[in-house]
Amino acid sequence: MAEEIDFDAILSKYRADPYEYAEIYASQTGVVNFKVEEGSSVNCTSGEWQQIPGSPLFEITRERNTKLIAARINGTISSIRTDLEGQFVEAGEKLLTIRHPLKKKEVIENILKEVLYLFPAPERAKYFFSLDIQSRIEKRGTKALAIKPGDEIIIMSLMKRDTPIYYSGEAGVIHSVYFTPGVSMDQGQALIGICASDKLPLIQKVITRVKADWDKLVDPVHAEE
Amino acid sequence: MTAINSIHPAALHKYLWSHELLERKKSPHLPPPETILRYGAFVGSAIQCHASLERTMEHARRHIADSESQGISVISGTVILADTLIQSKGRFARSWHAPPGGLWGCMILADTFLSRARTLLPLALGVACCEAVRGLGIPEAHVRWVNDVLVRGQKLAGFLVESHRGLCHGEAFHLLGFGININNDSFPAELTGNAISLRRILDGPVDLPGFSLSFLAKLAWNIGLLCYEEERELHRWDGAGEQGNQAGHLLLDQWMKLSDTIGKKVLYGYDIQQKPLYEAVVTGINSDGALVMRLGDGTEIVEYGGELLYLETERTE
Repeated sequence: MAEEIDFDAILSKYRADPYEYAEIYASQTGVVNFKVEEGSSVNCTSGEWQQIPGSPLFEITRERNTKLIAARINGTISSIRTDLEGQFVEAGEKLLTIRHPLKKKEVIENILKEVLYLFPAPERAKYFFSLDIQSRIEKRGTKALAIKPGDEIIIMSLMKRDTPIYYSGEAGVIHSVYFTPGVSMDQGQALIGICASDKLPLIQKVITRVKADWDKLVDPVHAEE
Repeated sequence: MTAINSIHPAALHKYLWSHELLERKKSPHLPPPETILRYGAFVGSAIQCHASLERTMEHARRHIADSESQGISVISGTVILADTLIQSKGRFARSWHAPPGGLWGCMILADTFLSRARTLLPLALGVACCEAVRGLGIPEAHVRWVNDVLVRGQKLAGFLVESHRGLCHGEAFHLLGFGININNDSFPAELTGNAISLRRILDGPVDLPGFSLSFLAKLAWNIGLLCYEEERELHRWDGAGEQGNQAGHLLLDQWMKLSDTIGKKVLYGYDIQQKPLYEAVVTGINSDGALVMRLGDGTEIVEYGGELLYLETERTE
Protein backbone atom coordinates (compact mmCIF):
# COMPACT_ATOMS: atom_id res chain seq x y z
CA MET A 1 0.00 0.00 0.00
CA ALA A 2 1.26 3.43 -0.85
CA GLU A 3 2.63 5.49 2.02
CA GLU A 4 1.12 8.66 0.64
CA ILE A 5 -1.77 9.30 -1.65
CA ASP A 6 -1.89 12.07 -4.21
CA PHE A 7 -5.35 13.28 -3.24
CA ASP A 8 -5.39 16.07 -5.76
CA ALA A 9 -4.65 13.69 -8.62
CA ILE A 10 -7.29 11.20 -7.53
CA LEU A 11 -9.94 13.81 -6.91
CA SER A 12 -9.15 15.54 -10.21
CA LYS A 13 -9.72 12.23 -11.95
CA TYR A 14 -13.17 11.91 -10.40
CA ARG A 15 -13.87 15.61 -10.95
CA ALA A 16 -13.16 15.27 -14.65
CA ASP A 17 -15.18 12.12 -15.06
CA PRO A 18 -17.36 11.11 -12.08
CA TYR A 19 -18.44 7.85 -13.69
CA GLU A 20 -17.55 4.20 -13.62
CA TYR A 21 -17.50 2.35 -16.93
CA ALA A 22 -18.72 -1.24 -16.71
CA GLU A 23 -17.68 -3.25 -19.74
CA ILE A 24 -20.00 -6.14 -20.51
CA TYR A 25 -18.63 -9.20 -22.29
CA ALA A 26 -20.26 -12.27 -23.84
CA SER A 27 -20.52 -14.83 -21.07
CA GLN A 28 -20.51 -17.70 -23.57
CA THR A 29 -20.32 -18.27 -27.28
CA GLY A 30 -23.56 -17.74 -29.18
CA VAL A 31 -25.65 -15.46 -31.36
CA VAL A 32 -26.24 -12.02 -29.83
CA ASN A 33 -29.44 -10.00 -29.98
CA PHE A 34 -29.30 -6.65 -28.21
CA LYS A 35 -32.20 -5.32 -26.13
CA VAL A 36 -30.74 -1.81 -25.71
CA GLU A 37 -29.22 0.88 -27.88
CA GLU A 38 -26.65 3.59 -27.28
CA GLY A 39 -28.03 6.13 -24.81
CA SER A 40 -30.54 3.74 -23.24
CA SER A 41 -30.91 4.00 -19.47
CA VAL A 42 -30.60 0.69 -17.63
CA ASN A 43 -31.40 -0.28 -14.06
CA CYS A 44 -29.54 -2.77 -11.90
CA THR A 45 -30.93 -5.71 -9.93
CA SER A 46 -33.28 -4.48 -7.21
CA GLY A 47 -35.83 -5.53 -4.63
CA GLU A 48 -35.45 -6.28 -0.94
CA TRP A 49 -33.89 -9.66 -1.76
CA GLN A 50 -32.28 -8.58 -5.02
CA GLN A 51 -34.96 -10.66 -6.72
CA ILE A 52 -35.94 -8.19 -9.45
CA PRO A 53 -33.62 -8.60 -12.43
CA GLY A 54 -31.95 -5.58 -13.96
CA SER A 55 -32.85 -4.17 -17.38
CA PRO A 56 -32.35 -6.71 -20.19
CA LEU A 57 -29.15 -5.98 -22.11
CA PHE A 58 -28.97 -8.77 -24.68
CA GLU A 59 -29.88 -12.36 -25.42
CA ILE A 60 -27.26 -14.87 -26.35
CA THR A 61 -28.35 -18.09 -28.03
CA ARG A 62 -26.31 -21.23 -28.35
CA GLU A 63 -27.73 -24.49 -29.68
CA ARG A 64 -31.29 -23.15 -29.24
CA ASN A 65 -30.60 -22.37 -25.60
CA THR A 66 -31.23 -18.66 -25.07
CA LYS A 67 -29.88 -16.76 -22.09
CA LEU A 68 -31.04 -13.27 -21.20
CA ILE A 69 -28.30 -11.12 -19.74
CA ALA A 70 -29.50 -8.29 -17.50
CA ALA A 71 -27.77 -5.19 -16.15
CA ARG A 72 -26.18 -5.49 -12.73
CA ILE A 73 -25.29 -1.84 -12.52
CA ASN A 74 -27.46 1.15 -13.35
CA GLY A 75 -26.47 3.84 -15.82
CA THR A 76 -26.52 4.66 -19.51
CA ILE A 77 -25.31 2.61 -22.47
CA SER A 78 -22.27 4.58 -23.60
CA SER A 79 -21.12 2.24 -26.34
CA ILE A 80 -22.52 -0.84 -28.02
CA ARG A 81 -21.24 -3.19 -30.73
CA THR A 82 -24.30 -2.95 -32.99
CA ASP A 83 -22.20 -4.54 -35.74
CA LEU A 84 -22.47 -7.80 -33.78
CA GLU A 85 -26.30 -7.80 -33.76
CA GLY A 86 -27.45 -11.27 -34.89
CA GLN A 87 -23.84 -12.43 -35.17
CA PHE A 88 -22.11 -15.39 -33.54
CA VAL A 89 -19.58 -14.21 -30.97
CA GLU A 90 -17.00 -15.98 -28.87
CA ALA A 91 -17.12 -15.97 -25.07
CA GLY A 92 -15.29 -12.91 -23.78
CA GLU A 93 -16.16 -10.63 -26.71
CA LYS A 94 -16.81 -7.10 -25.46
CA LEU A 95 -20.41 -6.19 -26.32
CA LEU A 96 -21.28 -2.92 -24.59
CA THR A 97 -20.34 -0.42 -21.90
CA ILE A 98 -22.55 1.00 -19.18
CA ARG A 99 -21.66 4.45 -17.86
CA HIS A 100 -22.55 4.48 -14.18
CA PRO A 101 -22.72 7.79 -12.26
CA LEU A 102 -20.73 7.50 -9.03
CA LYS A 103 -22.03 8.54 -5.65
CA LYS A 104 -19.87 9.83 -2.84
CA LYS A 105 -19.89 6.50 -1.04
CA GLU A 106 -18.85 4.68 -4.21
CA VAL A 107 -15.97 7.09 -4.82
CA ILE A 108 -14.70 6.46 -1.29
CA GLU A 109 -15.04 2.71 -1.77
CA ASN A 110 -13.27 2.86 -5.15
CA ILE A 111 -10.36 4.79 -3.68
CA LEU A 112 -10.20 2.48 -0.68
CA LYS A 113 -10.18 -0.55 -2.96
CA GLU A 114 -6.99 0.85 -4.48
CA VAL A 115 -5.29 1.10 -1.10
CA LEU A 116 -6.71 -1.88 0.81
CA TYR A 117 -5.78 -5.52 0.40
CA LEU A 118 -8.93 -7.16 -0.98
CA PHE A 119 -9.70 -10.74 -0.01
CA PRO A 120 -11.82 -12.35 -2.75
CA ALA A 121 -14.67 -14.89 -2.63
CA PRO A 122 -13.33 -18.28 -3.74
CA GLU A 123 -16.71 -19.51 -5.09
CA ARG A 124 -20.21 -18.21 -5.72
CA ALA A 125 -21.68 -18.82 -2.26
CA LYS A 126 -22.98 -17.21 0.89
CA TYR A 127 -20.43 -16.05 3.45
CA PHE A 128 -20.44 -15.28 7.14
CA PHE A 129 -17.73 -14.60 9.69
CA SER A 130 -16.48 -17.58 11.68
CA LEU A 131 -17.95 -17.77 15.18
CA ASP A 132 -14.76 -16.58 16.86
CA ILE A 133 -14.35 -13.61 14.54
CA GLN A 134 -18.05 -12.74 14.81
CA SER A 135 -17.95 -12.64 18.60
CA ARG A 136 -14.81 -10.47 18.49
CA ILE A 137 -16.51 -8.10 16.03
CA GLU A 138 -19.57 -7.86 18.25
CA LYS A 139 -17.38 -6.95 21.22
CA ARG A 140 -14.92 -4.58 19.63
CA GLY A 141 -15.93 -3.87 16.03
CA THR A 142 -13.98 -4.70 12.88
CA LYS A 143 -11.48 -1.85 13.12
CA ALA A 144 -9.95 -3.37 16.25
CA LEU A 145 -9.82 -6.84 14.76
CA ALA A 146 -6.31 -7.85 13.72
CA ILE A 147 -6.00 -10.82 11.39
CA LYS A 148 -3.00 -12.58 9.92
CA PRO A 149 -2.38 -15.23 7.26
CA GLY A 150 -3.68 -18.63 8.34
CA ASP A 151 -6.49 -17.30 10.55
CA GLU A 152 -9.89 -18.88 10.00
CA ILE A 153 -11.95 -15.81 9.30
CA ILE A 154 -14.95 -16.65 7.17
CA ILE A 155 -17.25 -19.62 6.56
CA MET A 156 -18.32 -20.23 2.97
CA SER A 157 -21.73 -21.87 2.80
CA LEU A 158 -22.96 -23.54 -0.35
CA MET A 159 -25.83 -26.05 -0.37
CA LYS A 160 -25.41 -26.71 3.37
CA ARG A 161 -21.72 -27.45 2.92
CA ASP A 162 -19.68 -25.18 5.15
CA THR A 163 -16.08 -24.53 4.29
CA PRO A 164 -13.77 -22.55 6.58
CA ILE A 165 -11.84 -19.91 4.67
CA TYR A 166 -8.36 -19.16 5.93
CA TYR A 167 -6.99 -15.69 5.42
CA SER A 168 -4.08 -15.34 3.05
CA GLY A 169 -2.85 -11.83 2.57
CA GLU A 170 -1.21 -8.96 4.38
CA ALA A 171 -1.65 -8.96 8.15
CA GLY A 172 -3.77 -6.07 9.32
CA VAL A 173 -7.19 -5.03 10.49
CA ILE A 174 -10.50 -5.51 8.71
CA HIS A 175 -11.37 -2.07 7.40
CA SER A 176 -14.23 -2.82 5.01
CA VAL A 177 -16.72 -5.66 4.84
CA TYR A 178 -18.26 -6.09 1.40
CA PHE A 179 -20.54 -9.07 2.06
CA THR A 180 -23.81 -9.37 3.92
CA PRO A 181 -24.39 -12.66 5.73
CA GLY A 182 -26.91 -14.71 3.79
CA VAL A 183 -26.50 -12.83 0.50
CA SER A 184 -24.74 -14.68 -2.32
CA MET A 185 -21.42 -13.33 -3.53
CA ASP A 186 -19.97 -14.12 -6.93
CA GLN A 187 -16.59 -15.78 -7.29
CA GLY A 188 -13.84 -13.15 -7.22
CA GLN A 189 -15.90 -10.41 -5.55
CA ALA A 190 -14.10 -8.79 -2.63
CA LEU A 191 -15.30 -10.08 0.75
CA ILE A 192 -13.24 -7.86 3.04
CA GLY A 193 -10.68 -5.08 2.70
CA ILE A 194 -7.65 -5.24 4.99
CA CYS A 195 -5.16 -2.57 5.89
CA ALA A 196 -2.09 -2.54 8.11
CA SER A 197 -2.85 -1.03 11.53
CA ASP A 198 -0.42 1.83 11.01
CA LYS A 199 -2.14 2.76 7.75
CA LEU A 200 -5.54 3.38 9.36
CA PRO A 201 -4.91 7.16 9.73
CA LEU A 202 -4.14 7.34 6.00
CA ILE A 203 -7.39 5.53 5.20
CA GLN A 204 -9.31 7.89 7.45
CA LYS A 205 -7.68 10.81 5.65
CA VAL A 206 -9.01 9.47 2.33
CA ILE A 207 -12.53 9.28 3.66
CA THR A 208 -12.44 12.70 5.29
CA ARG A 209 -10.98 14.36 2.22
CA VAL A 210 -13.49 12.87 -0.20
CA LYS A 211 -16.39 13.68 2.09
CA ALA A 212 -15.19 17.26 2.35
CA ASP A 213 -14.46 17.78 -1.33
CA TRP A 214 -17.07 15.67 -3.10
CA ASP A 215 -19.94 18.14 -3.08
CA LYS A 216 -17.65 20.72 -4.67
CA LEU A 217 -16.61 18.28 -7.37
CA VAL A 218 -19.75 17.21 -9.07
CA ASP A 219 -23.20 18.26 -10.06
CA PRO A 220 -26.06 17.83 -7.54
CA VAL A 221 -27.30 14.65 -9.25
CA HIS A 222 -24.18 12.82 -8.12
CA ALA A 223 -23.77 14.54 -4.81
CA GLU A 224 -26.19 12.31 -2.90
CA GLU A 225 -24.88 9.58 -0.57
CA MET B 1 -16.16 -49.78 26.76
CA THR B 2 -17.55 -51.59 23.72
CA ALA B 3 -19.74 -49.70 21.31
CA ILE B 4 -23.31 -50.93 20.93
CA ASN B 5 -23.56 -49.78 17.34
CA SER B 6 -20.64 -51.85 16.10
CA ILE B 7 -20.37 -52.69 12.42
CA HIS B 8 -17.45 -53.95 10.38
CA PRO B 9 -16.38 -52.96 6.85
CA ALA B 10 -16.69 -56.61 5.77
CA ALA B 11 -20.33 -56.65 6.88
CA LEU B 12 -21.02 -53.46 4.94
CA HIS B 13 -19.25 -54.88 1.88
CA LYS B 14 -21.38 -58.03 2.07
CA TYR B 15 -24.58 -56.00 2.54
CA LEU B 16 -23.67 -53.76 -0.38
CA TRP B 17 -23.02 -56.54 -2.86
CA SER B 18 -25.92 -58.72 -1.80
CA HIS B 19 -28.90 -56.87 -0.36
CA GLU B 20 -28.31 -53.42 -1.85
CA LEU B 21 -27.42 -54.77 -5.28
CA LEU B 22 -30.58 -56.90 -5.36
CA GLU B 23 -32.69 -53.90 -4.31
CA ARG B 24 -31.19 -51.68 -6.99
CA LYS B 25 -31.68 -54.32 -9.65
CA LYS B 26 -35.44 -54.13 -9.03
CA SER B 27 -35.50 -50.61 -10.47
CA PRO B 28 -34.77 -50.13 -14.15
CA HIS B 29 -31.64 -47.99 -14.10
CA LEU B 30 -29.83 -46.73 -17.13
CA PRO B 31 -26.39 -47.83 -15.94
CA PRO B 32 -25.95 -51.32 -14.46
CA PRO B 33 -26.18 -51.11 -10.63
CA GLU B 34 -22.80 -52.86 -10.33
CA THR B 35 -21.20 -49.87 -12.05
CA ILE B 36 -22.70 -47.42 -9.56
CA LEU B 37 -21.83 -49.58 -6.56
CA ARG B 38 -18.24 -49.93 -7.71
CA TYR B 39 -17.95 -46.13 -7.76
CA GLY B 40 -19.30 -45.81 -4.22
CA ALA B 41 -17.84 -48.97 -2.69
CA PHE B 42 -15.11 -47.05 -0.88
CA VAL B 43 -17.73 -45.78 1.58
CA GLY B 44 -17.08 -47.54 4.88
CA SER B 45 -13.69 -48.95 3.82
CA ALA B 46 -12.72 -48.31 7.42
CA ILE B 47 -15.21 -47.98 10.27
CA GLN B 48 -14.45 -46.81 13.79
CA CYS B 49 -17.08 -47.56 16.43
CA HIS B 50 -16.90 -45.68 19.73
CA ALA B 51 -19.06 -45.89 22.83
CA SER B 52 -18.76 -42.14 23.34
CA LEU B 53 -17.08 -39.16 21.67
CA GLU B 54 -17.27 -35.43 22.16
CA ARG B 55 -17.91 -34.73 18.47
CA THR B 56 -17.33 -37.04 15.53
CA MET B 57 -16.32 -34.13 13.27
CA GLU B 58 -13.61 -33.11 15.72
CA HIS B 59 -12.51 -36.73 16.03
CA ALA B 60 -12.27 -36.92 12.22
CA ARG B 61 -10.05 -33.82 12.14
CA ARG B 62 -7.78 -35.33 14.78
CA HIS B 63 -7.69 -38.61 12.85
CA ILE B 64 -6.59 -36.76 9.72
CA ALA B 65 -3.92 -34.85 11.64
CA ASP B 66 -2.65 -38.00 13.39
CA SER B 67 -2.52 -39.97 10.13
CA GLU B 68 -0.66 -37.18 8.35
CA SER B 69 1.85 -36.77 11.17
CA GLN B 70 2.59 -40.52 10.96
CA GLY B 71 2.96 -40.35 7.19
CA ILE B 72 -0.16 -42.48 6.66
CA SER B 73 -2.75 -41.70 3.98
CA VAL B 74 -6.24 -41.13 5.34
CA ILE B 75 -8.62 -43.76 3.97
CA SER B 76 -11.31 -41.99 1.99
CA GLY B 77 -14.66 -43.34 3.13
CA THR B 78 -13.61 -43.80 6.75
CA VAL B 79 -16.74 -43.81 8.91
CA ILE B 80 -16.63 -42.76 12.57
CA LEU B 81 -19.60 -43.83 14.70
CA ALA B 82 -20.36 -43.12 18.33
CA ASP B 83 -23.18 -44.43 20.51
CA THR B 84 -23.44 -41.04 22.16
CA LEU B 85 -21.95 -37.58 21.65
CA ILE B 86 -21.16 -35.35 24.57
CA GLN B 87 -20.63 -32.01 22.82
CA SER B 88 -22.41 -32.46 19.52
CA LYS B 89 -23.52 -29.40 17.63
CA GLY B 90 -25.36 -28.54 14.47
CA ARG B 91 -24.85 -25.61 12.14
CA PHE B 92 -24.25 -22.14 13.61
CA ALA B 93 -23.17 -23.80 16.90
CA ARG B 94 -26.68 -25.03 17.58
CA SER B 95 -26.79 -27.79 20.15
CA TRP B 96 -27.54 -31.29 18.87
CA HIS B 97 -29.05 -33.84 21.24
CA ALA B 98 -27.21 -37.16 20.69
CA PRO B 99 -28.05 -39.68 23.43
CA PRO B 100 -27.61 -43.48 23.12
CA GLY B 101 -29.93 -45.11 20.60
CA GLY B 102 -29.35 -42.77 17.66
CA LEU B 103 -27.07 -43.10 14.66
CA TRP B 104 -24.43 -40.44 15.18
CA GLY B 105 -21.39 -40.25 13.01
CA CYS B 106 -19.25 -38.73 10.35
CA MET B 107 -17.55 -39.88 7.18
CA ILE B 108 -14.22 -38.63 5.85
CA LEU B 109 -14.26 -38.16 2.10
CA ALA B 110 -11.19 -37.06 0.17
CA ASP B 111 -12.16 -34.14 -2.06
CA THR B 112 -11.62 -35.58 -5.51
CA PHE B 113 -14.82 -34.05 -6.91
CA LEU B 114 -15.35 -31.48 -9.62
CA SER B 115 -17.33 -28.38 -8.76
CA ARG B 116 -20.85 -29.63 -9.57
CA ALA B 117 -20.49 -32.94 -7.72
CA ARG B 118 -19.04 -31.07 -4.74
CA THR B 119 -22.09 -28.79 -4.73
CA LEU B 120 -24.52 -31.73 -4.90
CA LEU B 121 -22.69 -33.82 -2.28
CA PRO B 122 -24.94 -32.73 0.65
CA LEU B 123 -27.99 -34.00 -1.26
CA ALA B 124 -26.58 -37.55 -1.21
CA LEU B 125 -26.90 -37.71 2.58
CA GLY B 126 -30.57 -36.79 2.68
CA VAL B 127 -31.44 -39.11 -0.19
CA ALA B 128 -29.56 -42.06 1.38
CA CYS B 129 -31.26 -41.55 4.74
CA CYS B 130 -34.73 -41.13 3.22
CA GLU B 131 -34.27 -44.30 1.16
CA ALA B 132 -33.18 -46.25 4.26
CA VAL B 133 -36.15 -44.94 6.27
CA ARG B 134 -38.62 -45.76 3.50
CA GLY B 135 -37.04 -49.22 3.39
CA LEU B 136 -38.47 -49.73 6.88
CA GLY B 137 -41.97 -49.21 5.52
CA ILE B 138 -42.31 -45.48 6.18
CA PRO B 139 -43.39 -44.02 2.83
CA GLU B 140 -44.23 -40.65 4.39
CA ALA B 141 -40.52 -39.91 4.91
CA HIS B 142 -39.48 -36.97 2.72
CA VAL B 143 -36.43 -34.83 2.11
CA ARG B 144 -36.69 -31.11 2.80
CA TRP B 145 -34.17 -29.04 0.81
CA VAL B 146 -31.24 -29.34 1.23
CA ASN B 147 -31.11 -32.64 3.09
CA ASP B 148 -33.24 -32.72 6.25
CA VAL B 149 -35.37 -35.85 6.52
CA LEU B 150 -38.85 -35.27 7.93
CA VAL B 151 -41.65 -37.65 8.83
CA ARG B 152 -45.11 -36.21 9.55
CA GLY B 153 -43.58 -32.74 9.54
CA GLN B 154 -41.12 -33.62 12.30
CA LYS B 155 -37.36 -33.84 11.89
CA LEU B 156 -35.95 -37.35 11.91
CA ALA B 157 -32.44 -36.63 10.66
CA GLY B 158 -30.07 -33.77 10.04
CA PHE B 159 -26.78 -33.57 8.19
CA LEU B 160 -23.82 -31.24 8.18
CA VAL B 161 -21.02 -31.16 5.63
CA GLU B 162 -17.83 -29.34 6.51
CA SER B 163 -14.79 -29.04 4.31
CA HIS B 164 -11.42 -29.48 5.94
CA ARG B 165 -7.84 -29.11 4.79
CA GLY B 166 -5.16 -31.31 6.32
CA LEU B 167 -2.60 -29.19 8.16
CA CYS B 168 0.41 -31.23 7.01
CA HIS B 169 -0.05 -31.56 3.26
CA GLY B 170 -3.03 -29.33 2.59
CA GLU B 171 -5.09 -32.27 1.31
CA ALA B 172 -8.77 -31.38 1.09
CA PHE B 173 -11.47 -33.52 2.69
CA HIS B 174 -15.21 -33.33 3.22
CA LEU B 175 -16.53 -34.36 6.62
CA LEU B 176 -20.08 -35.65 6.23
CA GLY B 177 -21.78 -35.48 9.62
CA PHE B 178 -25.01 -37.37 10.23
CA GLY B 179 -27.47 -37.55 13.10
CA ILE B 180 -30.50 -39.85 12.77
CA ASN B 181 -32.99 -40.43 15.58
CA ILE B 182 -33.42 -44.20 15.74
CA ASN B 183 -34.18 -45.65 19.19
CA ASN B 184 -33.68 -42.45 21.18
CA ASP B 185 -37.15 -41.39 22.12
CA SER B 186 -36.83 -38.46 24.49
CA PHE B 187 -35.95 -34.99 23.29
CA PRO B 188 -35.11 -31.74 25.07
CA ALA B 189 -38.06 -29.49 25.73
CA GLU B 190 -37.15 -27.13 22.87
CA LEU B 191 -37.32 -30.01 20.36
CA THR B 192 -40.47 -31.68 21.66
CA GLY B 193 -43.05 -31.74 18.90
CA ASN B 194 -40.47 -30.92 16.25
CA ALA B 195 -38.28 -34.02 16.39
CA ILE B 196 -39.21 -37.64 15.96
CA SER B 197 -37.44 -41.02 16.08
CA LEU B 198 -37.91 -44.26 14.18
CA ARG B 199 -38.82 -45.99 17.43
CA ARG B 200 -41.71 -43.59 17.91
CA ILE B 201 -42.86 -43.90 14.29
CA LEU B 202 -42.72 -47.71 14.29
CA ASP B 203 -43.88 -48.02 17.88
CA GLY B 204 -40.98 -50.31 18.73
CA PRO B 205 -37.20 -50.60 18.70
CA VAL B 206 -35.21 -50.71 15.47
CA ASP B 207 -32.11 -52.82 14.77
CA LEU B 208 -29.53 -50.02 15.02
CA PRO B 209 -26.56 -51.83 13.41
CA GLY B 210 -28.90 -53.10 10.70
CA PHE B 211 -30.18 -49.59 9.94
CA SER B 212 -26.59 -48.28 9.98
CA LEU B 213 -25.62 -50.84 7.32
CA SER B 214 -28.62 -49.88 5.20
CA PHE B 215 -27.89 -46.13 5.49
CA LEU B 216 -24.20 -46.54 4.67
CA ALA B 217 -24.97 -48.84 1.72
CA LYS B 218 -27.40 -46.28 0.33
CA LEU B 219 -24.84 -43.53 0.94
CA ALA B 220 -22.36 -45.62 -1.07
CA TRP B 221 -24.94 -45.89 -3.87
CA ASN B 222 -25.70 -42.17 -3.94
CA ILE B 223 -22.06 -41.13 -3.80
CA GLY B 224 -21.56 -43.69 -6.56
CA LEU B 225 -24.21 -41.80 -8.56
CA LEU B 226 -22.27 -38.57 -8.07
CA CYS B 227 -19.07 -40.19 -9.32
CA TYR B 228 -20.85 -41.86 -12.24
CA GLU B 229 -22.47 -38.57 -13.28
CA GLU B 230 -19.14 -36.82 -12.98
CA GLU B 231 -17.65 -39.25 -15.47
CA ARG B 232 -20.63 -38.78 -17.81
CA GLU B 233 -20.26 -35.00 -17.51
CA LEU B 234 -16.58 -35.20 -18.38
CA HIS B 235 -17.47 -37.21 -21.49
CA ARG B 236 -20.08 -34.65 -22.52
CA TRP B 237 -17.99 -31.64 -21.70
CA ASP B 238 -16.79 -29.87 -24.78
CA GLY B 239 -14.81 -27.10 -23.16
CA ALA B 240 -17.63 -24.56 -22.83
CA GLY B 241 -18.35 -25.64 -19.27
CA GLU B 242 -22.11 -25.23 -19.59
CA GLN B 243 -23.42 -28.21 -21.50
CA GLY B 244 -22.82 -30.76 -18.74
CA ASN B 245 -24.87 -28.84 -16.21
CA GLN B 246 -27.89 -28.72 -18.48
CA ALA B 247 -28.17 -32.50 -18.79
CA GLY B 248 -30.11 -34.63 -16.28
CA HIS B 249 -28.53 -36.03 -13.14
CA LEU B 250 -29.47 -39.33 -11.51
CA LEU B 251 -28.93 -38.06 -7.95
CA LEU B 252 -31.07 -34.98 -8.59
CA ASP B 253 -33.76 -37.19 -10.14
CA GLN B 254 -33.83 -39.35 -7.02
CA TRP B 255 -33.87 -36.27 -4.78
CA MET B 256 -36.90 -35.00 -6.70
CA LYS B 257 -38.70 -38.31 -6.16
CA LEU B 258 -38.10 -38.23 -2.40
CA SER B 259 -38.57 -34.55 -1.66
CA ASP B 260 -41.83 -32.79 -0.83
CA THR B 261 -40.27 -29.31 -0.96
CA ILE B 262 -41.44 -28.30 -4.43
CA GLY B 263 -44.81 -26.60 -4.26
CA LYS B 264 -44.50 -25.83 -0.54
CA LYS B 265 -44.97 -22.38 0.94
CA VAL B 266 -41.82 -21.80 2.98
CA LEU B 267 -40.03 -19.41 5.26
CA TYR B 268 -36.46 -18.95 4.04
CA GLY B 269 -33.34 -17.74 5.82
CA TYR B 270 -29.64 -18.49 5.84
CA ASP B 271 -30.04 -19.07 9.58
CA ILE B 272 -33.74 -19.73 9.89
CA GLN B 273 -33.77 -19.75 13.68
CA GLN B 274 -31.94 -16.48 14.23
CA LYS B 275 -32.80 -14.55 11.10
CA PRO B 276 -35.68 -15.73 8.92
CA LEU B 277 -35.76 -13.59 5.78
CA TYR B 278 -38.82 -14.06 3.59
CA GLU B 279 -41.78 -16.22 2.64
CA ALA B 280 -42.00 -17.79 -0.80
CA VAL B 281 -43.38 -20.73 -2.74
CA VAL B 282 -40.84 -23.29 -3.99
CA THR B 283 -41.20 -23.82 -7.74
CA GLY B 284 -38.27 -26.14 -8.42
CA ILE B 285 -34.59 -26.83 -8.09
CA ASN B 286 -32.10 -26.12 -10.84
CA SER B 287 -29.38 -28.35 -12.26
CA ASP B 288 -26.96 -27.31 -9.50
CA GLY B 289 -29.45 -28.23 -6.78
CA ALA B 290 -30.21 -24.57 -6.05
CA LEU B 291 -33.70 -23.74 -4.81
CA VAL B 292 -35.97 -21.78 -7.14
CA MET B 293 -38.75 -19.86 -5.38
CA ARG B 294 -41.48 -17.39 -6.27
CA LEU B 295 -41.93 -14.40 -3.98
CA GLY B 296 -45.23 -12.69 -3.16
CA ASP B 297 -44.64 -10.07 -5.87
CA GLY B 298 -44.36 -12.82 -8.49
CA THR B 299 -40.61 -12.49 -9.00
CA GLU B 300 -38.37 -15.53 -8.99
CA ILE B 301 -35.41 -15.96 -6.66
CA VAL B 302 -32.70 -18.64 -6.69
CA GLU B 303 -30.85 -19.59 -3.49
CA TYR B 304 -27.70 -21.74 -3.31
CA GLY B 305 -27.69 -22.08 0.45
CA GLY B 306 -29.80 -21.45 3.51
CA GLU B 307 -32.61 -23.21 5.32
CA LEU B 308 -36.35 -23.65 5.07
CA LEU B 309 -39.35 -24.09 7.27
CA TYR B 310 -42.55 -25.37 5.71
CA LEU B 311 -45.23 -22.90 6.64
CA GLU B 312 -48.22 -25.18 6.18
CA THR B 313 -47.22 -27.94 8.56
CA GLU B 314 -44.29 -26.96 10.75
CA ARG B 315 -43.73 -25.10 13.91
CA THR B 316 -40.38 -23.44 14.59
CA GLU B 317 -37.65 -26.02 15.13
